[in-house]
Amino acid sequence: MVQASKLQTMFTDMVTARYYEERLQEEYLEGKQPAFDISAGPIPGELHLAAGHEASATGVCQHLRDDDTVTAPHRPHHIAIAKGVDLNRMTAEIFGRETGLSKGKGGHMHLFDPEVNFACSGIIAEGCPPAVGAGLAAKKRNEDSVAVAFIGEGAVSQGAFLESLNLASVQDLPVVFVIEDNDWAISMPKDRVTDVADASQRAGGFDMPGERVDSDDATAVYDAAKEAVGRARDGNGPTLLEVQVHRRMGHFMGDPESYRPEEDSAAAKNRDSIERLASELRAAGIEDEEIDELRENAHDRVDSAIEWAKDQPQPDPEDAYGDVFVGPESGVTTTETTHELAGDTRAGGDD
Amino acid sequence: MAQQDSAQAIDRELTMSRAMVEAIADEMRADEEVFYMGEDVADYGGIFDSTQGLLEEFGHDRIMDVPISETAYIGAAVGAAQAGMRPIAELMFVDFFGVGMDQIYNQMAKNTYMSGASVNVPMVLTTAVGGTYNDAAQHSQTLYGTFAHLPGMKVVVPSTAYDAKGLMHNAIRDDDPVVYMFHKRLMGIGWMPAPDGPKTPVPEEEYTIPFGSADVKREGEDVTVVTLGLHVHRAIEAAEDLAEDGIDAEVVDLRTLVPLDTETILESVAKTGRLVVVDEDYRSYGVTSEIVARVAEEDLASLEAVSRLAVPDVPIPYARPLENEVIPATEDIKDAVRSIGS
Amino acid sequence: MSGTDRLEINTADVWPEDADEDEGVVTNWFTSEGSQVEEGDTLCEIQVEKVSVDVSAPAAGTLSEIVRDEDDEFERGDILAVLEVA
Repeated sequence: MVQASKLQTMFTDMVTARYYEERLQEEYLEGKQPAFDISAGPIPGELHLAAGHEASATGVCQHLRDDDTVTAPHRPHHIAIAKGVDLNRMTAEIFGRETGLSKGKGGHMHLFDPEVNFACSGIIAEGCPPAVGAGLAAKKRNEDSVAVAFIGEGAVSQGAFLESLNLASVQDLPVVFVIEDNDWAISMPKDRVTDVADASQRAGGFDMPGERVDSDDATAVYDAAKEAVGRARDGNGPTLLEVQVHRRMGHFMGDPESYRPEEDSAAAKNRDSIERLASELRAAGIEDEEIDELRENAHDRVDSAIEWAKDQPQPDPEDAYGDVFVGPESGVTTTETTHELAGDTRAGGDD
Repeated sequence: MAQQDSAQAIDRELTMSRAMVEAIADEMRADEEVFYMGEDVADYGGIFDSTQGLLEEFGHDRIMDVPISETAYIGAAVGAAQAGMRPIAELMFVDFFGVGMDQIYNQMAKNTYMSGASVNVPMVLTTAVGGTYNDAAQHSQTLYGTFAHLPGMKVVVPSTAYDAKGLMHNAIRDDDPVVYMFHKRLMGIGWMPAPDGPKTPVPEEEYTIPFGSADVKREGEDVTVVTLGLHVHRAIEAAEDLAEDGIDAEVVDLRTLVPLDTETILESVAKTGRLVVVDEDYRSYGVTSEIVARVAEEDLASLEAVSRLAVPDVPIPYARPLENEVIPATEDIKDAVRSIGS
Repeated sequence: MSGTDRLEINTADVWPEDADEDEGVVTNWFTSEGSQVEEGDTLCEIQVEKVSVDVSAPAAGTLSEIVRDEDDEFERGDILAVLEVA
């Protein structure tokens, strides 16, 4: 049994993330209707929304501390929210503002919050190797922090994912790989990209435990992740989890989803993990009023983050030149020591 | 340089590989967070001697052999660096970048910028470059331009043991990612004899050489030869021969491509008026074009004549006469200098 | 006897134990004739059957003569150099 307080936290994460995506969708479409023009409106660029993925992120992140590393893919908002990324600055980043997490240089696929060790990669599966590296650093430092790499099921045939499973396994690193299976790799259904319906079976090829959570049930994810994260934290090596989630929206905003059968979209919308968790809250004795209050507070938090973000200044164009490096171009020194070398007076560098 | 008692001159010589290893060992002694990983770097000592002897002192935890899995371990270096460690990852041949490039140019090189510098990646990527030993198209490239073209990584190319040590100290201490490209032919490996030149006296003490500081390896008045890596030595040899014909060539060793010391090049060209750029990378869209473009932009008036010498736009061939044809030789440098008059 | 001893650096003393070959080559000298060296300093590197061996100074002194130069071949038992030990 998951504690009632944990259920409430997970519910809060989930309704925050769901409402966040719904609100971003509204903001994103402003100026993009009736004709969809990706360059118009208050949110720049592409937008990959994660409505329907919430159970996976919150179920896993309940077991994480700030010093645990998470890498997320191009669809990262729900994971960032569950990991505790600063919502105001994350939203400002998505709106491309100066006070965003990355000063407007990253955008929604490249959210970084070192305060809670959260990072993204917009390239499929390429967040896995850096997560392995965070696990390697923890092991080398004899610390009990862990690393979690989230990917989609479209990533399970990528070299970066498979190579990371191998390296984490052969080095016994504290890493958990989480596949969010939303059935669709953009327009490709899972059965057309792999003959292995349960991608957690990929773990067997690396002598690593693998487990699939077959329904997007936050408490089931919570239980599976508890074991996986615990195994990593205890120094017993990596785990591969696959979690069934559902994609309520297009791959990205503007995706007409013409490849997707209507019944599949409808089934995804009906499979609502948030309502499922609400029922569990009620079963745990939490009153409807309290549930409504959790939901309202979450909505208020999202609304205020979006309001704050839209109020933030645009970056100064000159700022495009900074932050390529954190240190001086010349490295740790600007001057060269001269040495008297036998034979060749020039080898020592003559200013 | 200050006149000192010649008795104080440093006469201990090292090969380039030993100078690199000495710097790595010093940094590893000073900082527990520095570690080295790559293929065959521990028990073997690096195919090109880049880690010779380090395993004995530091053990397998800090000199790590890894699976043949460049994406995984270069990416793991990125993750460990973002966690604050100072990994050195070795890409055995630069030609292998194709199997791990996403971690290099999309993660290592961009995470600092994409995070608005809230994250940094203090790692060194070492890699062997260069031909001249008939290893054909997939094991002989230099690819200077490929790495220098993509923003977010510093690119270091030493040509002597002295420079190799000072540049390595700076690379490991740098808070940003550094690609350290060492030419196989310069390392002083028993089975791949180096030319005269890369083995130099090297102080035992640690020292740093700043990036973006080209070194005039030979002073001259008539023509400027800008080059790097192996071709520094070929250019010096060419210059000595040309001197017999009364042509006084200045040889500028770039030492780093990012940052690039345009100033030293411009000063030299202002003096000589003639510019020859030589490298071992492909000719088009590369280092030679970049140097010529910068000089043309900044000081067209000084530029009386230009020539560039690089690998013509073909893959590196295998057979000796074919490879010798495409990699610029000392004679080719002399011809290029003569071709633009003096 | 003068104040210094003449110490010959013999290849037989540094020959790799598992080498069947009786010939080798000098790949690198790290110090030059007339140089002062400390005990343990690496003087040169030789190669026997693809194995590189570092030859270090058995005592402090002056490297008075290099008998086998870089790229010279030698046989087991040949003298590489002479050290004048203070």
